[in-house]
Amino acid sequence: MTLQRLTRNFLALAGALGLTAIAPVLAQGTPQKGGTLVMVVQPEPPTLAAYQSTAGPVGQVATKVYEGLLEYSFDLKPMPSLAQSWTVAPDGKTVTFKLTPNVKFHDGKPFTSADVQFTVMDVLKKVHPRGVNTFRAVTAVETPDPLTAIFKLSEPAPYMMMALSSYESPMLPKHVFGTGDIATHPNANRPVGTGPFKFVEWQKGQFMRLDRNPDYRKAGLPHLDRVVARFIADAGTRSAAMETQEAHIGGFNAVPPVDVKRLSGLPHIATTYKGYEMQAPIVQLDFNTTKPPFNDARVRQAVAYAIDRQFVIDNVWFGFGKPATGPISSNFKANGLYTDQVRNYNVKNGVEMANKLLDEAGKKRGADGVRFEIVHDVTPYGEEWRRFGEYVQQQLAKIGIKATLRYEDVPAWLRRVYTNYDFDLTNNWIQTLADPSIGMHRLYHSNTIKAGTVFVNNSRWTTKETDELMNKANVETDPKKRAALYHDLQKRIVDASPLVFVHELNFVTVYNKRVNNFPVSPLGLYSAMDTVWLAK
Amino acid sequence: MPSLAYVLRRLAQAVPTVLAIVVLNFLLLQLAPGDAADVLAGEAGSATPEYMAQLRKSFGLDQPMWLQLLLYLKQVVTFDLGFSFRHGMPVSELILSRLGPTLLLMGTVLTLAVFVGVLLGSLAARHLNRWQDNLISTLTVLAYATPVFWAGLMLIVLFSVKLGWFPTSGMQKVAAFHEGFAKVKDIAHHLVLPAVTLTLFYLALYARLMRASVLEQASMDYVVTARAKGLTERQVIRRHVLRNAMLPVVTMAGVQVGAIFGGAVVVETVFAWPGLGLLAYESLFARDLNLLLGIFFVSTCLVVMVNLAVDLCYSMLDPRIELR
Repeated sequence: MTLQRLTRNFLALAGALGLTAIAPVLAQGTPQKGGTLVMVVQPEPPTLAAYQSTAGPVGQVATKVYEGLLEYSFDLKPMPSLAQSWTVAPDGKTVTFKLTPNVKFHDGKPFTSADVQFTVMDVLKKVHPRGVNTFRAVTAVETPDPLTAIFKLSEPAPYMMMALSSYESPMLPKHVFGTGDIATHPNANRPVGTGPFKFVEWQKGQFMRLDRNPDYRKAGLPHLDRVVARFIADAGTRSAAMETQEAHIGGFNAVPPVDVKRLSGLPHIATTYKGYEMQAPIVQLDFNTTKPPFNDARVRQAVAYAIDRQFVIDNVWFGFGKPATGPISSNFKANGLYTDQVRNYNVKNGVEMANKLLDEAGKKRGADGVRFEIVHDVTPYGEEWRRFGEYVQQQLAKIGIKATLRYEDVPAWLRRVYTNYDFDLTNNWIQTLADPSIGMHRLYHSNTIKAGTVFVNNSRWTTKETDELMNKANVETDPKKRAALYHDLQKRIVDASPLVFVHELNFVTVYNKRVNNFPVSPLGLYSAMDTVWLAK
Repeated sequence: MPSLAYVLRRLAQAVPTVLAIVVLNFLLLQLAPGDAADVLAGEAGSATPEYMAQLRKSFGLDQPMWLQLLLYLKQVVTFDLGFSFRHGMPVSELILSRLGPTLLLMGTVLTLAVFVGVLLGSLAARHLNRWQDNLISTLTVLAYATPVFWAGLMLIVLFSVKLGWFPTSGMQKVAAFHEGFAKVKDIAHHLVLPAVTLTLFYLALYARLMRASVLEQASMDYVVTARAKGLTERQVIRRHVLRNAMLPVVTMAGVQVGAIFGGAVVVETVFAWPGLGLLAYESLFARDLNLLLGIFFVSTCLVVMVNLAVDLCYSMLDPRIELR
């Protein structure tokens, strides 16, 4: 989008260019009551049906209204929410949740185990894009009493315990959503939940208004009177709204990296990249491994060697990132699943190594120095991807690969890469989410090669061994053994290099310094914000 | 005065035009690769094949194209614009909620641009080749040559960020939620920057046109006659020259309603003005074809109506023009 690029550049020019370090999270002082927090949410969500869309903007709003059974701490441990305690049976096939008593939905009706049963069995398992997978092992939810929900599983599902937040699995009222067709339910855009804020109105194209829930289960919370989500399509204007304090907070790159540098120089603006730990997005290059030239692992490895990851982070993403080593984000160091003991492509003499590998693969240079030509697709999610594409084109030229760049819009690109598989190499980014089983298996397992399904295995590289490792990791309940399986898996995948793992993307949240107690969980903007307060 | 029969006949003639445009739009949009299900699943970050198939079935995308077209035409002739699956709302409801802001913006811009443009144009013509003329001509060329989005952003930088006189964007102050008269005042406050941005561009056009037109009329015989009758310069200009000189400006304004609609997309995006243009822009990238076709349909009707209104204006400005 040329318009957006131009507007951004002009605003960047118009303002002073100040560079400062990321400010620490402010969390001091006594909370003050009241106030309206204005979030900029980009783009405007299509619906508020958080039970059938995991789209980011939906999550940023709906998580204030709905709650999940669990929350998570920064070290990725489950914490109580609507469930005050839980026990997993030794065989891993029964999980019992004790629900928090005296919780009421916004319409005054109590929250009970019947709502949990309904939400999981009739909604998430059926219409939630990831729930279908997350709850695949759940055969029944038993409700011996209103405050006990027992999940019966056909096999252990350790990953499920990581997917019970308000963002992944919002709990719905059965008495509202139980009647009518869930896919086109009239309450989709008039949500009724148990969260700290009640839905009031949605003026399409302008804003969404959520007011304080006076009957919230946590006494004295939330601090804020109101949360308003505003929708501003132009990136330059979003930055200006943060600058004039019309908006207080915006994340997921609602303020583009180029403006973050400038805004963080202002006295009233702070920035953080905490609060995205359960998204764990990785920037990557996807190969089409089913046809030449990228059906040869040596050619793929050559491309992986040719990319200078730190250069990309510093010059394309303005420093917001960290080199990636493999398919699992280093966030999972916290629970032991991550390892960096894999083949290291991020080396000084990468271009040299790449040229050597290509020679070995028999890809001789022609008279013009070109070994072969490819088309490099650029994912249509913003300017950075174009710059990244141009960088890759330049690096590939150094190793004798002539790449032509192709730009398309979102639906056209998705169709090309995930339905028609009509590509050689595309840049891409994938959220590896709260557990590898949910976020990462989909890119490598043979059973996820499904034309027409987006963000699954489009490189179509598989081996029997890696499939087997993933199957085992799905049901392994011993954390140590599970970690060992993932370490083995990471080694194998990185060796074969079906994708180039470039860097772990750091989203930036830009916020006004009057905003306190943010972020308090790895879910960041996807959390309830009940403890957030606004200094007067 | 034009008869009612004339208006009705013109409306009847518009029906096949509008239908042809609907069919053309439908076929053109089929050329775009990817569909609404791809986009929804793309935004969701993941989806199963069963889920995608279910989506396509409920959107009617599993039907052959000619059947989809027939079904759509059948809906349109009964003024049913269908359902936007993306928004989970009927298209007509969505469009109605966004039509108000667009009409407010377009109405303000058109009125301001024509009024001020005519004023500046005649002023320049009366002071031909003097400093007033030079100043107005230079400024209008500058305004015309400035890209609309850039002008918008510069106004934001100056009047919102630096001076703090106007809000950067939106249609109302969301932290306040004004009611009654305070709400009207609030909306007017938010309207200033987007309206000025868009007006600057069109104003320039009308001023140039008006200047040329006044100069041309001023050399006509009837002006000499009017002067010979002993009318004051003021009377000559107001009664005789202006009315005749207005005709090309009115024609241009009528033709440009469609274009202002297009220009509004840019201004609506920059100022987050919740109008139809922005909705159209978003629905294109979301492949929300029902909604997009609905917006095209409404804007087609709007242009047809405005053209009719312009023709009616002619006969009022110049009674010699007969409407048949």
